[in-house]
Amino acid sequence: MTATLGAVLAATSQAIGAGALLAGLVTLAGTRRPALALSVFLDLLVASGLLRLAGSPSWQTIATAASVILLRRLIGFGLRAGGRSWDSPTGRRSDRRGAGRRLANRLVSPAWRR
Amino acid sequence: MEELLQDAVNLLVTVVEACGAAVIIVGAVWAFLRFVWVGLRHRDSGAFVPVRLTLGRFLALGLEFQLASDVLRTAVAPSFRELGQLAAVAAIRTALNYFLGKEIAEEKRQVAERDEQSTTGSGGSTSAGRQREEA
Repeated sequence: MTATLGAVLAATSQAIGAGALLAGLVTLAGTRRPALALSVFLDLLVASGLLRLAGSPSWQTIATAASVILLRRLIGFGLRAGGRSWDSPTGRRSDRRGAGRRLANRLVSPAWRR
Repeated sequence: MEELLQDAVNLLVTVVEACGAAVIIVGAVWAFLRFVWVGLRHRDSGAFVPVRLTLGRFLALGLEFQLASDVLRTAVAPSFRELGQLAAVAAIRTALNYFLGKEIAEEKRQVAERDEQSTTGSGGSTSAGRQREEA
């Protein structure tokens, strides 16, 4: 019974792994945001790894699942840190651009039109 | 008697583990379908957050079941090798459960902040519209 469960779960785990790749690609194609696509891919990959841990796993399976989870944490942390460093200057730049446009409008357009 | 207990625990472990696996499979399939749907139809990064939150909840629930089966398995773990593997799997599951909980709380906070901002924004525009009407 355990062997049957293990075999079924191994097949399902592979299917979910393939689904993770597909969902990641669809997300990348739809949103054109690699960071989001990567996080979607890793989320489903974790589900696949968890299924592989069910039953009586070998040391290799345990190590693989542990490295996927560790990798996911690491990439997630890296993406969040990268997102912060990308976000702040862009926001400031757009603010600056907006302020410049407002100043130009005030200087150029007459007072009654404001 | 001991063999009977071992058989009963093994059966229980299999049943509980199958329940956890079923929860994870349902969550993963649902999340896959939603991811594809959102990716094809909405194409908005904000629409992915609720799906990821729900997938995280499913995974956390499945992990709870699997941790329960680990606890049951400690009742019958004859060799040190099996005990070591059990400890490694339980450590991975516990760590993942902890991190998933933190991620869910973080994403919930982000969703709440976004909702609050949108409410304030729409409230602001409504009051501005009302002022314009009054003028």
